[in-house]
Amino acid sequence: MKTIIEPFKIKSVEPIYFNTKEERRSILEKAFYNPFLIHANDVLIDLLTDSGTSAMSSNQWAGIMQGDESYAGSPSFFRFEETVQKITGMPLVIPTHQGRAAERILFSILGGKGKYFVSNTLFDTTRANIEFSGAEGIDLICEEGKHPTVPAPFKGNMDTVALKNFIAEKGAANIPLCIITVTNNSGGGQPVSMQNIKEAKKICAENNIPLFIDACLFAENSYFIKLREEGYADKSVPEIVKELFSYSDGCTMSAKKDAFANIGGFLAMRNEQLAQQCRNLLIMTEGFPTYGGLAGRDLEAIAIGLNEVMDEHYLQYRIRSIEYLTNKLITAGVPVMQPAGGHAVYIDAKEFLSHIPVEQYPGQALVGALYIEGGIRSVEIGSLMFGKYDANKKLIPAQMELVRLAIPRRVYTQSHIDYVAEVIIEVFNNRDEIKGLKITEEAPMLRHFTAKLKPIQ
Amino acid sequence: MTTPVHRKKAMQEAGYNTFLLRSEDVYIDLLTDSGTSAMSDRQWAGMMMGDESYAGSRNFYHLEEVVKDVYGYKYMIPTHQGRGAENILSKILIKKGDIIPGNMYFTTTRLHQELAGGKFEDIIIDEAHDPENEFLFKGNVDLNKLEKLIKKYGAKKIPYVSMATSVNMAGGQPISMKNLKELRALTKKHSIRIIHDMTRVAENAYFIHQREKGYEHKTIKEIVKEICSYTDGATMSAKKDALVNIGGFLALNDWDVFEEARNMVVVYEGLHTYGGLAGRDMEAMAIGIGESVSDDHIKARVGQVIYLGEKMMEYEIPIVKPIGGHGIFVNAKKFLPHIPQDQFPAQSLAAEIYLDSGVRTMERGVVSAGRKATGENYYPKLELVRFTIPRRVYTQAHMDVIAESAARVYERRNSIKGMKMVYEPKYLRFFQAKFEKL
Repeated sequence: MKTIIEPFKIKSVEPIYFNTKEERRSILEKAFYNPFLIHANDVLIDLLTDSGTSAMSSNQWAGIMQGDESYAGSPSFFRFEETVQKITGMPLVIPTHQGRAAERILFSILGGKGKYFVSNTLFDTTRANIEFSGAEGIDLICEEGKHPTVPAPFKGNMDTVALKNFIAEKGAANIPLCIITVTNNSGGGQPVSMQNIKEAKKICAENNIPLFIDACLFAENSYFIKLREEGYADKSVPEIVKELFSYSDGCTMSAKKDAFANIGGFLAMRNEQLAQQCRNLLIMTEGFPTYGGLAGRDLEAIAIGLNEVMDEHYLQYRIRSIEYLTNKLITAGVPVMQPAGGHAVYIDAKEFLSHIPVEQYPGQALVGALYIEGGIRSVEIGSLMFGKYDANKKLIPAQMELVRLAIPRRVYTQSHIDYVAEVIIEVFNNRDEIKGLKITEEAPMLRHFTAKLKPIQ
Repeated sequence: MTTPVHRKKAMQEAGYNTFLLRSEDVYIDLLTDSGTSAMSDRQWAGMMMGDESYAGSRNFYHLEEVVKDVYGYKYMIPTHQGRGAENILSKILIKKGDIIPGNMYFTTTRLHQELAGGKFEDIIIDEAHDPENEFLFKGNVDLNKLEKLIKKYGAKKIPYVSMATSVNMAGGQPISMKNLKELRALTKKHSIRIIHDMTRVAENAYFIHQREKGYEHKTIKEIVKEICSYTDGATMSAKKDALVNIGGFLALNDWDVFEEARNMVVVYEGLHTYGGLAGRDMEAMAIGIGESVSDDHIKARVGQVIYLGEKMMEYEIPIVKPIGGHGIFVNAKKFLPHIPQDQFPAQSLAAEIYLDSGVRTMERGVVSAGRKATGENYYPKLELVRFTIPRRVYTQAHMDVIAESAARVYERRNSIKGMKMVYEPKYLRFFQAKFEKL
């Protein structure tokens, strides 16, 4: 058969509330042209994020009913711990209420002024947590990763030459950690090759720098390795996953992505001393080490989800559905990041809206246009999310101006995706009418979540 | 069910710290009433209606509306649990060198105040430190103590008064409405905020209903709202009163503080419309808050605690009186007078109760109190073992078993020995400390 079907049946449905283009125009205005401020009920297709928005399986819901809510020593924790140990091969597992809490704990221990954290590309909350500690985050993405529309198999790879040079320049003592984000979320959900992880590990080991994996999308990355990297075609996904983690000293995980959970995350590592430091911080802001700020039932759902996500039927469907939407857009001439990533389609807004300068946030303008046209909620990954100001308050733009359409796991069907493609193509055909935006209000950190904007007439 | 031999081994492996026991080795779990409630069928239905959108989930708007309706606070930010709210509040309001007066410390609350550079000062009435004193509102603030602090440090050094309802460390003791009103008048004069630690506000309201003149005909819901009306904001661990397994919030009436908190919650918890919670958990919280202020529920809840307390009194076990709202607090100093406080009488007693019957309780004494910044131990007047009753989980038969076990241990109290601490973590040591028997 040519058609790849969704490897599930739908047991429970959630209604979509329809509205008109006129209504959406006024909703967007009231939300200050920021999709984070739109009520979920006013959204038709929600592609804001794939984080926490997955549909859980019937097995996971059964796990939810079996949650043991004891404050300390819950059997749900021990099941969770065992699963993470088995999948990652790491002995020390610390649950957190979500991924950013794991990051915050890790970086408040290892971070601080004068320190550098090197990465292929840091995710937004990861970077914020690093900077919050006073340290600096450094992205060393490979050359292919910098050109959105040029296809290459492993555009998430780290530039290992740049890594060597950076270590030589700043000194290994000032680099507490190297972080490889798999797949590279901010860089288009592009995978990292096993070879690249091995090389990075070798360089880190030579310099006594621990290597951590930002593992949110570990299964999708592993499936890409199976598809694209020599020598892995006949290996199972769990085997590839295990090998991938074997090169690392620890990982941070948002279970809201590749574990199909609506909430939760964890830290896993090999160093007992670091783990004890993490647990001491965990207790202050998260919760006791055997629940970490999660209900027992959520620990169950994560444990079950971690196993489900490595199913190859699922991964084939998952990767193919992103590719399907990407190809439809390419055919219509829409500038998108190529090849298709693992969890989202990324539109190159700089090219899509070439008449809007980066200071007027073309990505955010496109996000607004997609919402008005079809009620689709997407997110800007560009200068609103990552831009900074220089001493003269002039914008230092981000490397790329992207709009991310993140596809929630197991939530939408092919007809939803066809609708999304139609809306984007319609907006593309009328792109000259779209206007740039200016910021009227913003927070000092993670401004994209709450910033208010208005169109430039 | 476990055997004495099994329990002995389990307790040893846990370093005589009940926190480190596996819950499968526990017969009746009275470690905490936090997050251990049984949810109602309506809450479970709400769980199925979770809207897991990252931004603007309808469950958030429902929760916001309920917080406004039931508690009257204008602005609300969800957090994954109470300590998440405490963390954010302390970081925003406390500056280095500030003084935070409160009606007795609570472990995580004080730690967040100290980490933000503040210093906690106890302003609870003296009666609260005397487990035998039967004053009906042992959670009251001593206004003279507060006035002295204001005089000594100046009102500018006091960002807020931390006012807990149903004071946990005093044994779940209530504050009276009269006292709260007077506190409001005094703080208003000096422009000092009152931040309400409201995790057990409904239980406090029940005691006001039972004990304070003028409130006998008011509903719990009315009393709860009146309590909140005298305060400027609140931190809530919804895992207690509000009958959920996870969740909390920070509530504020001041827009500027709220806005600052909203920017900070993104860093620590999650976007301000989910705060690190699944949508379904916000829905369960919204429904649970409604149930928590139902007169019938709270009467049965506190009634069960009182039943257990009276049973223990029949066995002449020394407990904190009057009986509090969420548990029975056994006076370990009086139970084990032969064990000095630096040999952890309450920790020893909690271990003995577990060994006897598999009932898990918690130490609330010198171990929980921790150390001062200078390194010496705090030696609290109260050296207690807390038998905390989860809401809607256990029946009267369970209560009978618990009281009988406490009685058996009481009979052989003279043979119980003290302990020494062999591992001590830096913060909140009671959670992970390990002990050996002397």
